[in-house]
This record gives sequence, structure tokens and C-alpha cells, in this order.
Amino acid sequence: MSLKDLNIVVLLKQVPVPKAMKTKADGMMDRSGKSMINPYCNAALEEALKLREKVGGVITVVSMGPPNAKQSLIEAMRKGADKSILVSDRLLAGSDTWATALALSSTIKKYLPDTDIIFAGLQTIDGDTAHVGPQVAEHLGFQQVTYVDKIELEGENLKVRRFVEGGWETFITPIPVMLSIHTAANTPRGPSLGAALRTSEDNITVYSVEQIGLTKEEVGVAGSPTIVSRVLNVVIDRPPVELFNEGSATERVGKLLEAVNRKEESS
Amino acid sequence: MSTDREKAKLERDMAVPEVDLRDGASGIATWAQTDGENLHPAALEILGEARRLSEKLEDKTVTSIVIGKDAEKHAQTLIEHGADRVYVISDDRLLEYRTLPYVRAIVDAIREIKPEIMIYTASAIGRDLAPRCAARLHVGLSADCTQLDIGMYVNRKKGQRFMHAFKMMRPSFGESKLATIIGPWNYPQSSTVRPGVFAKLQPDSSRTGEVVKFEPKWVEEDWIQEVVEVQKGGSRVELEKADIIISGGKDLGREGFEMLQELVDAIRANGQVAELGASRAAVNAGLISSDHQVGQTGKTVRPEIYFAIGISGAVQHLMGMQNSKKVVAINIDPNAKIFQVADYGIVDDYKNVVPELIKQVKNGFTFELDK
Ligand SMILES: Cc1cc2nc3c(=O)[nH]c(=O)nc-3n(C[C@H](O)[C@H](O)[C@H](O)COP(=O)(O)OP(=O)(O)OC[C@H]3O[C@@H](n4cnc5c(N)ncnc54)[C@H](O)[C@@H]3O)c2cc1C
Ligand SMILES: Nc1ncnc2c1ncn2[C@@H]1O[C@H](COP(=O)(O)O)[C@@H](O)[C@H]1O
Repeated sequence: MSLKDLNIVVLLKQVPVPKAMKTKADGMMDRSGKSMINPYCNAALEEALKLREKVGGVITVVSMGPPNAKQSLIEAMRKGADKSILVSDRLLAGSDTWATALALSSTIKKYLPDTDIIFAGLQTIDGDTAHVGPQVAEHLGFQQVTYVDKIELEGENLKVRRFVEGGWETFITPIPVMLSIHTAANTPRGPSLGAALRTSEDNITVYSVEQIGLTKEEVGVAGSPTIVSRVLNVVIDRPPVELFNEGSATERVGKLLEAVNRKEESS
Repeated sequence: MSTDREKAKLERDMAVPEVDLRDGASGIATWAQTDGENLHPAALEILGEARRLSEKLEDKTVTSIVIGKDAEKHAQTLIEHGADRVYVISDDRLLEYRTLPYVRAIVDAIREIKPEIMIYTASAIGRDLAPRCAARLHVGLSADCTQLDIGMYVNRKKGQRFMHAFKMMRPSFGESKLATIIGPWNYPQSSTVRPGVFAKLQPDSSRTGEVVKFEPKWVEEDWIQEVVEVQKGGSRVELEKADIIISGGKDLGREGFEMLQELVDAIRANGQVAELGASRAAVNAGLISSDHQVGQTGKTVRPEIYFAIGISGAVQHLMGMQNSKKVVAINIDPNAKIFQVADYGIVDDYKNVVPELIKQVKNGFTFELDK
């Protein structure tokens, strides 16, 4: 037996481009500026596309975010994803990873109940937690492998390699499974002409909190077990660097090494 | 700062009614990571921090949960480094990490220990394990923290004052901000902490503690994933154990990295523990293997002395080395960001500096280390 015609989900998040990252007055991320697909999610999409080339099937991109996240979903479909779901609702504002994972898993349960494989990015560059993939897997009772950089077919199972401290482990895992993908796994492709021609906003379905079967108590700030209580600017408290730029190389290096060996008075 | 204003604020805060939702949860639990057989250095670092934090709680018990093959052999080490109690979960099948058996083990243990705080390591394994445990326990989780505290938290809107909230601080927005995350509504309040950030305690062989042999209620399906291959070790780069790290960036090229290796060898020849590090750009350029990489997606290190040679100082790199005791930067660009976090530096081409370093080390210069 072997895997065929899989129902594949890619969890994809739109993030601010690093240079445009800023906070609003309330300390929350300002998402109105220039945005892009989270790089790790791009790597996840690439693995999904490669897998579909081998076994066939349908790729649905699922994202939670503001209405302007549609532009990233269109970009994903131009690369070859078949359709997209955007969960978008003001009630979702302030969701922590627990509430985000609940919203995403509820969406998959209700609208994509036959999902075989979920691809997630290892982490996002804005939230940077690596929580959401494993938490979605827990809510759905899926197997999981994170930090994945290699995927092969193995009968009706998958053979995947993950990074661990000091090396790699290779697993045989049954489906349904959630795989979180490391950017080291691949170089994501750009849009293809054929896929771009097929892409239309009609292939994006937008759902509200009510439609995915949740209440306002279960999402957003109300449904989040954690909150950000305070944000401080980081001040670098190191004294300024001491430079040794005068004299011959021998003298400079000599003085530098002498300084390194000097005992600190304080701390 | 006006102390009158602070006093008035404190008075207002204290007027908010105190709530305590701990419902009997008390003390701190930590996960002591192993690679199946040996303890990860972070296991002891977290324990040190848990010990310090416990001073701010009524119940000062620190429980360490250790999982692996023959895990009982670590109990004594954990006790000497601050644990009052060690939950040992030992099974031959735990030689390699697999998510579901580990999640069951941690979740079952937490349900029995009932800590008010749970701390995991934010390693590649910890970042797989902790979110799934938190989801199963229906508690919040704060990721990759670098500072922890316990103290009063007042929420005026909800009219709640907590006296022992766990304050979990993590860098955000590319390290430019430090965000404090709290969640004193569900217990245990949980966080993962970056390896290499906290200091372990000096071992105290006179400390005593309780060892509990714990049996999780595993089910057959927990073991369904099969580990078919493990690639570990080989050259075994032990950046975390090095006292002196010599790191290079991508512009050094092969020739530069050969020079850095010569410097490392010269330091080692003097009997000191040195290792070669690298930026991700250097790894990506194929100059060196990825087990040498320092930074966000590499290793977090805190050596006595860190040399950054031809490294620009991108935040992702700084994340991995900014807790080094002393930082030396050598860079041709006087405006390189690395100089903002360095203690000592030379602005010059590495080609002029490194050969001289090698010479002086070979002539017998040894680094004085604070330990
Ligand atoms: C999600 C993510 C994760 C990342 N994780 C990591 C990580 O874990 N670790 C990491 O390091 N990076 C990481 N990066 C990459 C990081 O942003 C930088 O790109 C990288 O650290 C830059 O490496 P570099 O300093 O070698 O190269 P560059 O930034 O190109 O800097 C080269 C430096 O060498 C100096 N130089 C050039 N020639 C000489 C000479 N002859 N003598 C002396 N100095 C010279 C230059 O002045 C310059 O400062 C990550 C990026 C992302 C997006
Ligand atoms: N709002 C979101 N919508 C869709 N997927 C998400 C969202 N947030 C996180 N994810 C997925 O979870 C991964 C890890 O994100 P994080 O836990 O935020 O680091 C991302 O790479 C995505 O695959």
C-alpha cells in the first residue's frame, strides 16, 4: 500500500517585513504596514507542493489574520496551492498561541475533517514561539514531528528527518501528522505562470469566529491563558567597547590580550 | 522618580482585591533534558534559576522531572544542583526522543506534582515537547524566555490582584524589546527558557532530596512513531562546554577559517578549552558545518571569552552569544553592530590581527578564566 491523493493543509501566517516591525500604542504588533509570508511557512508550503507532486491531492492553505492577509494567500496559490481559508474576525485580536491553535484546529475540524497532513512553519519571525503547530496537532490528536528538513514516502507512512540537539533523528510516522518545517529544508519556488492564471480571490473562503464554531469567550484576549503585561525597550547596559587601534599589530594585540585578562572591579 | 507617586500607585494597587487561583498548586517543577543518556547542560541551568525563584514563593519545593534510559543515574546530580525532589521516568524505549511518550510522561507527572510553575528548556526538543504539554494541560506557555521573576500583578479592569504571579520575560521584535508575559489564571504557569542564559548553581554534595520513581500511564499508541536512524556525534562540537570561543563570519572565507582553526588549536595546546564558532552566513556559505553555528537557529553559548571575528552582529547572532562574559570583536568596519556588544575590539582586517594572536598564544599567552 502507498499514499495517494492526500488532503494537505498548510498553516500559513502573514508577518510584517522585519524592517517594518513596530508596536502600536497598546503594545500590540502593528500589522498595517508592509507584509510578507512568514519564511518558515514558505518552506512548509514548498514541502507540501513537493509532496503533492509525488502523490497527488489537494493543498488548502489555512491562515488566521486580518483581511489584508489575502495577499499572502493569493501568493501561495500562485505558487500552486489549490485553495485557501482565512479566519478573520475582530474578536481574534490579542489571541495568544493557545487561542490561535484553537481557532486553527476548530477550522480544520469543521471544514477540512479529512486532513491527512498538516504542514506548519517551524516558527514565525514575529511571534517566534514554535507553539502553534504542536498545539494544533494536540487539539486534533495528530502525530507530530517538528524541525523537519527531509521527507520521504515509506509505504503508507512517511519517513521524516528532524533536527535534535547534536544531530538528527529519522522517524517513520503514520498519518494523520503535523510536520513543522525548518527553513533549511528547501529553497521555496516562486509563482508559476499556470498556477497564477488559475488563481482568483474566489478561491479564498473567509470565516468568522462564529462560523468556525467558537464563541467570543474562547478566542482573542478573553480566550487566551496568557497576556503581555508590559513591553520595555532593551537598553544595552554594557560599557562602551574599548578599542586598541594604535600602534603595530603586535602592540595592539598585546594590549588587547592584556585587557582581556584584567580582572573586573565590579560585577 | 517621585516616590510619592509610587506610593500612591502602590496604595491604589493594594486596594484592588487579592485573588489566588492556584487551588493548591504550589512550588516549581522543571524538566531536566537528557539526550536519552546524558544530561543537557540546560537541565542544571534551569534548576539554578528555579532555586533562586523559589525564594519568592511560600512553597519553596523545586521538583525536577528527568526522562530517559536509566534516568535514575541523574538524580544525585540534580539534587546537588538544587532539586529537592526528582521524578525519575526511566524506560529503555526512551533512549531516543519521541513526542507522545514524553508528553504523556510530563503531563502525568505534572498532574501528580501540581506545581504552580513549570519550566522547560527552549531547545529543539523542548520546543517540540512544551507546547504540546501546555495544550494538553490547557495552560498558557511563554516561549524562549531570558528573564524570570515572581511578584505582584494587578489587573484593574478585572479587579484582580495576584501576589505571586510568574513574570516571564522574552525578547521580541528582533530583540529590541523585552515583553513580560503573565498568566496567573491557569496552573502551572509555564515557560520555556533559552539554554545558556541562566547560571547553574555550584554543586553541593551535602544537599539531600527525595527520589520518586514515576510510572506514566502510557498507552500503546504513544509509541507508534518508530525511530529508524540517529545521526549524532561524529566530530562532536562542544560549543556549550568551551571556555573560549573563536567565531568567524562569512567574509573570512576558507583561508580565514583555517587561520581561526589554527588559533583554536594553539589555545588548546596551552591546555585551555576552546572551540570554533561561526555565523549562519558562514555556515550557509559552506565554510563550516552547522554544528558550529551560534545564534537563534544555532547554539546559545555563554563562554568566558567570545571572539567575534568578521561578524557583523546581526540580532540573530547576538541572541546566541550576548551572555558571554567577555566579548572581543575584530572587524574592518568601525560601525559594525558587534562593537555595541563587545567589551574589547580592534578595527582592522582580520589578516593583520589573527596571525599576531596566534603568535602570542603560541608564545605562551594563556587566558585567565574566572573559575
Ligand atoms: C530566522 C533567522 C534566523 C537566523 N539565525 C541565525 C543564527 O542562528 N546565527 C547567525 O549568526 N545568524 C543567523 N541569521 C542570519 C543573520 O541575520 C545574519 O545574516 C548573519 O549572522 C550574518 O553573518 P556574518 O556576520 O558572517 O555576515 P555579514 O553580515 O555579511 O557580515 C560580515 C562582516 O565581516 C566584516 N568583514 C569583512 N571582511 C573583513 C576582514 N577582512 N576583516 C575583518 N572583518 C571583515 C564586515 O565588516 C562585516 O561586519 C538568521 C536569520 C534569520 C532570518
Ligand atoms: N495566525 C496564524 N495563521 C496560520 N498559521 C499560523 C498562525 N500562527 C502560527 N501559525 C503556524 O504555526 C507556525 C508556528 O508559529 P508560531 O507558533 O507563531 O511561532 C507558523 O509557521 C504557522 O505555520
